[in-house]
Amino acid sequence: MLEFLDSPRVFHGIYLLGSLMLFFIGLYGLLAKRHLLKIFVSIEIMELAVYLILIALATSPGETAPILSDGLLTFTGMADPIPQALTLTAIVIGVAVTALGTSMAIQYHRLTGKVGVGEMTELKD
Amino acid sequence: MTLHFTPVWFIAVPLLLAFLSPLWVRLRLLMPILLGAHVALFALALSWIPTVRVAPLLETIVIAPPLGIHLHLDAVSLLLVALFNVAGAVVSAFLWLSHAEPHLRGRPAFILILLLIAGSSGMVLTGDIFNLYVFLEIVGVSAYALTALRRDKQALEAGLKYLIVGSVAAIFILFAIVLLYLQTGQLNLAALARDFGHIPAPMQALIGLLMLIGLAIKAELFPFNFWVPDIYRGADPEITALFSGVLVKAFLFVLFHLVFLLLADPAVARTWLMALGATTMLVAEAVALRQQDLRRMLAYSSLGQVGLITLALGFASEATTAGALFHMVNHTLIKLLLFLLTALMLRRFLSVRLADLQGLGRAMPLAAGLFVLGALAVLGLPPLSGFASKLWILKGFAEAQVFWPIALILLAALLEAGYYFRWIKVFYAPEPPVTAGQAEGDWAYTPLLLIAGLLLLLGVAPFLLEDWFVQAAKALLGRGAFLESVLGVQP
Amino acid sequence: MNLIVKLLFLALSLTPAMTLLTWDGGVAWPLFGGITLLFDLNPVPGFFLLLLALGAPLVALPMLRGPRDEPAYALYALLLLGMQLLLLAGDFIGFFVGWEIMTWSSYLLLLRSPRTNLEGAQSYILFNLASAFLLLAGMLVFYSFTGDFRIHAVTGLNTLQQLSLLTLFGLAFLIKVGALPLHLWVPRSYDQAPDVFSAFLSALMSKMGIYALILLLTLFPEGLAGLFGQFLKGPAAGYVLAWIGVITSIVATFKAISQEDMKRLLAYSSIAQVGYIVTAIGVGSSLAIGGALFHSLVHTLVKLLLFIAIAGIVLQTGHRRFIDLGQLIGRMPISFFGVLIGIIGLAGMPPLPGFASKYLIYVSLLEAHWLLLLAAMILSSTAAFVYCYKLIYGPFLGHANSPEARVATEAPWQYLVPQIVLMGLLVALGIFPGWAIEILIDPVLTALGMTPIGAPAWGQLATAYGGYDGVVLMSVFATVFVLVTAIFFLLRGRMRQAGSPYDLSYAGEVPTAETPLHYGAGLGRELRRIPLVGWILSHSTQGFYAGLVRQTQAAAGLLSGLYSGNPQTWILLAVLILAATLTVQTLTGA
Repeated sequence: MLEFLDSPRVFHGIYLLGSLMLFFIGLYGLLAKRHLLKIFVSIEIMELAVYLILIALATSPGETAPILSDGLLTFTGMADPIPQALTLTAIVIGVAVTALGTSMAIQYHRLTGKVGVGEMTELKD
Repeated sequence: MTLHFTPVWFIAVPLLLAFLSPLWVRLRLLMPILLGAHVALFALALSWIPTVRVAPLLETIVIAPPLGIHLHLDAVSLLLVALFNVAGAVVSAFLWLSHAEPHLRGRPAFILILLLIAGSSGMVLTGDIFNLYVFLEIVGVSAYALTALRRDKQALEAGLKYLIVGSVAAIFILFAIVLLYLQTGQLNLAALARDFGHIPAPMQALIGLLMLIGLAIKAELFPFNFWVPDIYRGADPEITALFSGVLVKAFLFVLFHLVFLLLADPAVARTWLMALGATTMLVAEAVALRQQDLRRMLAYSSLGQVGLITLALGFASEATTAGALFHMVNHTLIKLLLFLLTALMLRRFLSVRLADLQGLGRAMPLAAGLFVLGALAVLGLPPLSGFASKLWILKGFAEAQVFWPIALILLAALLEAGYYFRWIKVFYAPEPPVTAGQAEGDWAYTPLLLIAGLLLLLGVAPFLLEDWFVQAAKALLGRGAFLESVLGVQP
Repeated sequence: MNLIVKLLFLALSLTPAMTLLTWDGGVAWPLFGGITLLFDLNPVPGFFLLLLALGAPLVALPMLRGPRDEPAYALYALLLLGMQLLLLAGDFIGFFVGWEIMTWSSYLLLLRSPRTNLEGAQSYILFNLASAFLLLAGMLVFYSFTGDFRIHAVTGLNTLQQLSLLTLFGLAFLIKVGALPLHLWVPRSYDQAPDVFSAFLSALMSKMGIYALILLLTLFPEGLAGLFGQFLKGPAAGYVLAWIGVITSIVATFKAISQEDMKRLLAYSSIAQVGYIVTAIGVGSSLAIGGALFHSLVHTLVKLLLFIAIAGIVLQTGHRRFIDLGQLIGRMPISFFGVLIGIIGLAGMPPLPGFASKYLIYVSLLEAHWLLLLAAMILSSTAAFVYCYKLIYGPFLGHANSPEARVATEAPWQYLVPQIVLMGLLVALGIFPGWAIEILIDPVLTALGMTPIGAPAWGQLATAYGGYDGVVLMSVFATVFVLVTAIFFLLRGRMRQAGSPYDLSYAGEVPTAETPLHYGAGLGRELRRIPLVGWILSHSTQGFYAGLVRQTQAAAGLLSGLYSGNPQTWILLAVLILAATLTVQTLTGA
C-alpha cells in the first residue's frame, strides 16, 4: 500500500518538503525570537534543514550505507558517500560555531544581565 | 631528507603552529614566532613568483582532481596569499613591539590570528567548493572569537552580532553548495564551472542568488553590510585591521572567483555587480561624513573602498581587474596603517572620538603625520600608491569608453576627502591635547613606517609590481586556462 | 644646528631657479601600463617657472623668522617640488601629479596657522580637490579620445567632444583661479593662511591656474577661435570666458572695497586681478595673451610685495583690521614704500608696469571690438583705486587706533629684503616694459604659435594703438615725486599739528571715542546704498555652498539610519531582497 513511497520522486519530495518546512521554521525563529539562545537554536535548525536536504536528495530508496563490510565487497547499490562525509564535517563546524556563540552569550549575560538581541545597544553612538 | 615546499604550507604551517602553541611555556616568544611564521611564508610566496608565471601550480591532496581535493596556486592566489602574510606579519610585529593589551598578546590571540590567516589563505588557494566552505567557517569562527577577545560588553556584543550574521551568511552559502552538488554531482571548482551551464536556468538563478547574498554579507557589500560598523567599533583596532585588510579581501576574491568561473560570460552579472559596488561605495562614503568615532569612520571608509573594488572587478576588463587587484593591495596596506594608528591613539587618548582627538598633532606628531599619509593614499592622491591603482581602474574605464563609473568614483573620492580632511583638521587644531593614557615607544612605529615606505614606493614606482598584477588579472579572468589546467581539456 | 637647517631650507627654496637655469634634456619616468611621465622645459611653462623661481626664495626668507619649524619647511619644499613637476610635465599624468602634490602640501601648510578654522580648511581642500578631480575626469576623457596622455593639440573631434573637454578642464582651472562663482575658498584661505604663506598662495599658486588655462588653449589646434566661430572680432567661446573674468573682477573689486581686514582685502583684490587675466585669455589674440602674461608677472610681484609688507605689519602690531592701525608711516617707512609701490602697481597706474600690462589687455579688447567688456573692465579697474587707497591710508596714515600701532617698529630684515628686491624689480620693469616683452613674453608667444608683440626699444611699449616710453615716464614721475616730497618736508614745520584725534575743527559734530575716525571704516556700509553695488555686496555664494553641505549631511543622516538596527533587521532585509529578486526572476523568466 505504501509502495508509492519507494519511488524516488515521492521520497525526495517528502524529504524536500519536510526540510524546507524545517528551514522556514528556523528562519521564523531567527527573525521573530528575541532571546539569544533561541536565535542560536533557530540557526541550528536552519543548518539541519540544509543537511537533511543534502542527505535526502543524494540518496535514493533502497541504497545501502557506503560501508564495505563482510557481506558487501563492491560499491554497487550504495549511497553516494560524499554527502555524508560533507554533512559530518558541516555538523562539526556547526557545533563549534554554536558552542562559541552560546559561551559568548553566557558571558554577555553575566556582564550585562541582558539576553535579548534587541537590547544590545552598547555600540550605538 | 630535503624539504619539499608545496602550497599546502601556507595552510599547514599556521595550523600546525596554532595547535602546537599549548606546548609553549614562554609566552613572551609567542609574538616573535607569529611574526617569523608570516615573514617566512611571505618569503615562500615570493620564491614562487617565477614558477607561477609559467603555469599555475596544482597541489593534489590524496586523489587527483576532479575527484580529490586540490590547491590551486596561480598568480592571483599567490598575490593574495602574499598579501595576507604581509598583513599578518605587520599586525604581529605591531603587537609584539607596542604595549598591546595582554589579551592581544596571549595564547588565544596567537592561535586565532594564525587560524584567520590560514583560513583566508585556504579560501584563496582551494580548488574545491566544500573545502572553501570549511575554510570560510574556520575564518568565521576565528573572526567571531577575535572580535569578542576583549570580553567586555562592547566586544561581546560585537562578537555576538557578528556571529549571528556570519552564521546566516554561511547557511546561505552552504545551501548554494548543496544545491550545486545535487545538480551537478561535483564539488571541484573547475568541474562545476564546466557543468554549471547545464543546470536549468531557474536553479542557476537560485544558486547564484544564494551564493551572492551569502558572500555579499561576508564581503561587506551594500545592502548586506549593515553589521560592519558595529563590529569594527566593538573589536580592537588591531583586530579590525586584519578584518579590513585580510578577511574582506579574501571574501571579495572568492565572490569574483566564483562569478568568473561559473558564468561563462561574466557580462550577465556585470550590471548587477557594478551597481552593487557603486551603491556600496556612495552610501558608505556619504554615511561616513557624519561619524564621530574614528573606528566607525574607518569602517565606512573601508566599505567605500570595497565598493570601489567591486565596481572595478565587476566590469571585468583586464585593466580594471588589474587595477582593482592593485587597489586591494593598497587598501590592505592603508587600512592596516590607519587601524594600527587608531590603536595607538586609543591607548594615548583612551577615546577616538572626534572631539577628544583635538591637538593630536602635538601629542603624537608621528602618528598624525602617518595618518595624513594614509588618508592621502586612500583618497588616491599622488605620489602615493592609491593614486596609481585608482588611475589604473579609471584608465580601464576610459579605455572602454564607459564614463559613469569614473564620475561616481571621483564623486565618492570627493565625499571621502570631506571627512578625512575634517579629521586631519581636528588633529592639527591649535587647542592643547588632553592625553590620559600612556605614551608609546618608538618601536611601535616600525611596522607603520614600513607600510608608509611601501605606499610611497608603490606610488612612485608601480611598474615594480605591474607585471604581477597583469598576470593576476589574467589568471582571475582566464576561465579557460583555469579549466584546462585542472581538467586537462579545453572547455 | 638652527642655522644649518634654515640655510638648507633657503637653498631648497632656490630649487626652481636651479631647475630653470640648469635644465637640460627631458626626463621620462615610466609609471605602469604604458603610462610614461614626461618632463621637459618648454617656453610657456618656462615663463611661469621664472615667476616661481623669483617668488619662492622671497617667500622663504620671511618664513625663516621665528623658531625653527621643520614640518613647514618640508611642506614648502614639497610644494615647490609639486609646482615644478606641474610646470615641467609634458603629459597630463605628470601635470596631475604636480597639481595634487601642490594641493595637499599647501593645504597642510594652511593648517599650520592658528587662525585656520574648519570651514576655511574644508573649503580650501574640497574646492581644490573638486578642481583636481574635474581635471582628472577631463584627462580621462581626453585619453579616451586620443589614446594617450601627452599634452598636445587634438584634431578631428566633434563639437560634443570638444565641449566636454572644454567644460571639464575649464571648470577645473576656473576653480583654481578663483573665478566667480567658484571662488568661495579664496578669501577664506588667503585670509586664514600663515601671513607669509598668503603671499605664496596669491602670487604664485593662482598663476598655476592661469598656466593651465593657457595650456587649455593649446589643446585645440586653432585655439578658442576654432571652437564656435567668431563673435565680433574675437572668438565666441572666449567671449564667455572673458565675461566670466570681468564679472569676477567687478564683484571682487567691490567686495575688496568693503573689507575691514587687510588680508581679506588683498584676497579679493587677487581674485579681481586674476579676473583681468582670465578676460585676456578669453580674448586669445597675441596682444591679449601677451597682456595676460605680463599682468601675471606684475601681479606676482605686486602681491608678493603687498602680502609680505602686510605680514610685516601684522607681525609687528598684531592687528589686521584697518580700524586698529594707522600712523605707521613714521615707524615703518620701508614697509610704507613697499605698500605704496605695490598699490601703484596694483591699480595699474603709470609709471609702474601694472599700467603696461593692463594697457595691453585694453588694446586687445579694442582690437576684438568687445567694447562692452572694455567698459566693464575699466569700471572695475577704476573702482580698484578705492581699495588701493584704503590699503595705504588704513595702516600708515591717519591716527594710530591701537596702543600696539603707536609703539610698533619697522619689520625685521627678513621681511624687508624681499620688499626692497620687489620694489626694485617693479621700478625696473616700469622703466623697461619693452625688455619684458622682448625677452620674457615674446618667446612664449612664439612657442604658442602667435605673432610676437615686439618692442622698438627696451624702454618702450608699442602697440598699433600707440605706446609710451618707460624711461621718460619714470623720469618725469620721479622728478615730480622728489619735488613734492621736498616741498612737503619744507612746509611741514608750519603745518598745524592736531592735539588729539578728536580735535577736528572742520567737523560738523564733535566725535567721541566710539566714533571710528577712519575714512575706510564705514566704506562697506555706505557702498551698499549704490544700487548695483549694493546688490553685489549683499549677496554671496556662501549660502549656496552652506546649503549644499547641509543637504549632503541630511542625506548622510538619512542613510546612516539604515546602519542602526540589530542583526534581525539586517537578516530580514537580506531575506526580503532574496525573495524579491527571486520573484522578479521567476516572473520575468530571465
